[in-house]
Amino acid sequence: MVGGAQTHRLADGGLIDRSVPLSFRFDGKTLLGFQGDTLASALVANGVKLVGRSFKYHRPRGILTAGSEEPNALVELRSGARREPNTKATTAELYDGLEAASQNRWPSLRHDFLSVNQLFAPIFVAGFYYKTFMWPAKFWEAVYEPAIRRAAGLGRAAGIADPDHYDKAWAHCDVLIAGSGPAGLAAALAAGRSGARVILCEEDFVPGGRLLADGGTIDGLPAAEWIARTLAELGSMPDVRIMTRTTLFGVYDGGTYGAIERVNDHLPVPPEHQVRQRLWRIVAKRSIVAAGAIERPIVFAGNDTPGVMMASAMRSYVGRYAATPAKRVALFTNNEDGWRTVQTAIGAGLQVAAVIDARPDVSPAHRTLASKNGFPVLNGSVAGVDGGKDGVRKIAVSLTGGARAEVDADGLAVSGGWNPSVGLTSYHRGRPKWRDDIAAFVPDGAPPGMVAVGAANGAFGLGACLRQGFEAGAAAASDCGRGGTAGSAPVADDEAFSLTPLWHVAGKGKAFVDQQHDVTASDVELAQREGFESVEHLKRYTTLGMATDQGKTSNIAGLAIMAAVTGKSIPETGTTIYRPPYVPVAIGAFAGHHRDETFHATRLTPSHHWAAEQGAVFVDTGLWKRAQWYPRAGEKDWLESVTREVKAVRGGVGFCDVSTLGKIDVHGPDAGVFLDRVYINSFSNLAVGKARYGLMLREDGIVYDDGTTSRLAEHHYFLTTTTAKAGLVMQHLEFCRQVLFPELDVQLTSVSDQWAQFSIAGPKTRELLREIVDPSEDLSNEGFPFMGAREVALRGGIKARLFRISFSGEMAFEISVPARYGEALVRNLMIAGKSLGVTPYGTEALGVMRVEKGHVAGPELNGTTTAADLGLGKMMSTKKDFIGRVMAGREALVAPDRQVVVGVKPTDKARRLRSGAHVIPKGEIPGPGNDQGYVTSVCFSPTLDQWIGLGLVERGRERIGEIVRAHDPLRGEAYDVELCNPVFYDPEGGRQRG
Amino acid sequence: MAEFSWDIRSPLDRTLVTGPYGARGEAGLSLTEIRNFDLVQAMARRGKAAEMAAAAKARFGVAAPETPKAVGNADATLIWSGPDQFFVLSKGGRHGIEALASVFAGSASLSDQSHARALISVSGQRVRAMLAKLSSIDLHPDVFAVGSAAATSMDHTSVTLWRGGDRGGQAVFNLLVFSTFAESLWHTILDSAAEYGVTIGHSEELA
Repeated sequence: MVGGAQTHRLADGGLIDRSVPLSFRFDGKTLLGFQGDTLASALVANGVKLVGRSFKYHRPRGILTAGSEEPNALVELRSGARREPNTKATTAELYDGLEAASQNRWPSLRHDFLSVNQLFAPIFVAGFYYKTFMWPAKFWEAVYEPAIRRAAGLGRAAGIADPDHYDKAWAHCDVLIAGSGPAGLAAALAAGRSGARVILCEEDFVPGGRLLADGGTIDGLPAAEWIARTLAELGSMPDVRIMTRTTLFGVYDGGTYGAIERVNDHLPVPPEHQVRQRLWRIVAKRSIVAAGAIERPIVFAGNDTPGVMMASAMRSYVGRYAATPAKRVALFTNNEDGWRTVQTAIGAGLQVAAVIDARPDVSPAHRTLASKNGFPVLNGSVAGVDGGKDGVRKIAVSLTGGARAEVDADGLAVSGGWNPSVGLTSYHRGRPKWRDDIAAFVPDGAPPGMVAVGAANGAFGLGACLRQGFEAGAAAASDCGRGGTAGSAPVADDEAFSLTPLWHVAGKGKAFVDQQHDVTASDVELAQREGFESVEHLKRYTTLGMATDQGKTSNIAGLAIMAAVTGKSIPETGTTIYRPPYVPVAIGAFAGHHRDETFHATRLTPSHHWAAEQGAVFVDTGLWKRAQWYPRAGEKDWLESVTREVKAVRGGVGFCDVSTLGKIDVHGPDAGVFLDRVYINSFSNLAVGKARYGLMLREDGIVYDDGTTSRLAEHHYFLTTTTAKAGLVMQHLEFCRQVLFPELDVQLTSVSDQWAQFSIAGPKTRELLREIVDPSEDLSNEGFPFMGAREVALRGGIKARLFRISFSGEMAFEISVPARYGEALVRNLMIAGKSLGVTPYGTEALGVMRVEKGHVAGPELNGTTTAADLGLGKMMSTKKDFIGRVMAGREALVAPDRQVVVGVKPTDKARRLRSGAHVIPKGEIPGPGNDQGYVTSVCFSPTLDQWIGLGLVERGRERIGEIVRAHDPLRGEAYDVELCNPVFYDPEGGRQRG
Repeated sequence: MAEFSWDIRSPLDRTLVTGPYGARGEAGLSLTEIRNFDLVQAMARRGKAAEMAAAAKARFGVAAPETPKAVGNADATLIWSGPDQFFVLSKGGRHGIEALASVFAGSASLSDQSHARALISVSGQRVRAMLAKLSSIDLHPDVFAVGSAAATSMDHTSVTLWRGGDRGGQAVFNLLVFSTFAESLWHTILDSAAEYGVTIGHSEELA
């Protein structure tokens, strides 16, 4: 069904393209609009007045504004995975095939069941939830909150992954301008002509700001022509960039600004390879806020009736979109600007029912206009609106002097004056200042480098906007050292502005301050009576200004009403703190590219693709993808694969990619001395060609990291770190080099990525190596003893480094080749070891073998343990100073009852040991008082055919053989374990030296 | 005795697919992996920065950069990598670590980084728009001229960036990235570049 009749569309005029009709659906009904419409203007053109139900009372609501300040006309846009709740119809660009649905209504917008809430309105006042749903407490989460959330609320999120992409980008400029109204365009002209790099951000899809609706004459040209001429001139400047559909939403440190560009929101689906939205971080030397002002409502009974609209919004719908929100319009104003609406209405052929002006006097010119067009001018204010979901029917007026009058109208335009958009100027905790002449807050200073101009600065005349913008643009360019000629400012007349402040008209019936959150004038008064007088308390108690519109049309009215009931002035009452973002920004835009598998950068080992070919299961360790195990056909689970890998190593030979270890070249004549200072043990006395295990402490005496370091030449050491701490240790060493020991001649470079490194382990290691290492190299125990380290030639001509070190407890070497040879090496190891049954193994088997061997790793080097706790206290040299030495001697760090590393095994060999289980003396009731430590690492040991582990246990090494209780409340388990020697496998170390 | 072949694989060998990528039509960008280069990091010994600079001048005929710049002669580029240190980028072993050992003996420590980095060269009409998604650095031609360099990060990954000589009237940007991060950054680059249309290739020639 096509409801093609745009019953409320003017025959001509406006900035819509009637040659491009667009079909769209609202609540299932097909309607038509034109290119250039927003969803809201198209709804207006189709005579749709009712667009949503309110948050708490489910009252019928219409369209209040024509911009991003809209509190009422919120819809669910699109469907399926792209469904976006709470989208403002006033800023959503119409496109062909757009689908929108009204929110917070059931079963339908016109017949909403929960509108009965209005009958209970007297009890749904501010603080209702806090007072009512207090008992029983456990009902809150289970019953009350879900029920309230169903009844009160907004749109529904899609609930499935967003199929669109977002990205982030940086931009740099001299002068950043927010807003493309007359002030913003004038600023861009002046700055651009001066030679500055300019970025102008405009929220709308068309530049021009209020000029688009209100027109005017600039430099003798109609506004539209002036805009076109200005855009053409700006377009000819290569360093001026105008970004439409882009909202500047935040101000951060050092001249950095946040902006969101709605790149493809105006299309049903972004074109292939394009993003939906882009988050910009803009670095600017100067910024000019020309963000305009927001017209503010006057609070009166029934002010939320569909058909009650801001006067400027009515001008936008009529002037810009050629759509008429009403046939017979009344205006309620307290200022001169509101009267423009009368001219617009008359120009569009609408009837003017009456003007209700709250000021004491109206100019003779207006009276002449009124009599010429046959409408009354009523001195007074609107006391109530008779109407409902079909819109406004009658307006009750209370006349100055006390008499009452009634006006028949189907639309009411309201103007309570203008509030400058001070958000951007206030995001660094600035507080705006009050100006009595316009009864509004204006910026009082701004973050460094920023200035506000035009309406955002309280200058409401067109001429003043142009002058201020132009001057600021020229000054900003000059501040940036751009000395070009700006020429002269565009010229226009200044309109008169007179206003008599009016915030709230007392009357019978609900008068809404915050329409999005259903906060009424009486809620503000109630908050005051209950002691929530501070504006910050008012906000939290009533939720005023806390909806997605952030109170753009309600905050000032709310605090004005609070000021009235407390007898304070508005500036004394003050504003709440302004915080970014200025408009809601999708989390997807902040995430950008960083989602799913690209959530963070990943690092791949040199053997990664080979391991993937083998079907390896990968595990994320930090940024790395590491092969965890290599499943084979027929293996039923990981344990079976890992057990096979361990047995293959212990019984034959296997290899594992250990390229993830941090590797650091330490160069220079003082390299040895340097290492002596960062490690607890000595390295200056290490012979060239030898490796040594080293342990480094933090300054506070706690263990920081461990690894082997080899001396490759007199002035060249090769240091390795754990995978987890590689980057941190590099930082730490650079700090030591540059800050602590600048007198040492030592140079550091990360070579982590230079080398592909593999551990080859098992009794047949030497046999494998003899296949691949050049026969001239002596790999015997004498020629290459345990802890030897040197360069060797490989068959085929390349050089490798060989280190005789063992983590598995087996006869083992680590071999490293330059990384581009890494994949070739792994393939050659498979060829060389084929007859030996060489087995690649992953990090799980590596972990099993290190636990069997009692080697400490991350779970034990956990930031609380000392060298002695780890059983490595004897390594602490007494012949030299080193980082952490003094602090390691503190009483608590050498106390005899510390928890130290010990082996743990269940007395029942069939039981699985779990890490995290607490150690409690046998026979005692578990509690914090007798908690003696916990199990840190566990594995199933194929060698011992049972689960074993390491633990940190109080006086553990003195208690070998003692049976204690492993208490695991998380898993509901408790069982006996024996404390034992942590070296479960080959405690004499014969195998690795063999 | 088995035969061993020692084929080299560049960090992007397994992931780079030559040809067009992303939006169709005229490519806004070209992305080229430069393979099989020599890269040596020279770091002045304590108090020997002047000697190192003199040695570099004697060897390469240009003064080594003391600020974030890249300078070069016909067969080597010297890229600033920090205070009193720089990279020497070259091909074919002429300025590899073994060749340079005697040049800088006593004045600098050398570290071979040839296999520790991938080198990606980016150029084309939309190169700055694409790099703006990755880099917080202002790449405006007046700010980041030919020969400008930066030790920076892209996508949380450490990168050495410099602007090479223009090619066909287009700016050329070179990115040195750690080898093990290269695939990850490559995919981020492709994501960023896809909307402009890309021509992907690889080369053994330094730009």
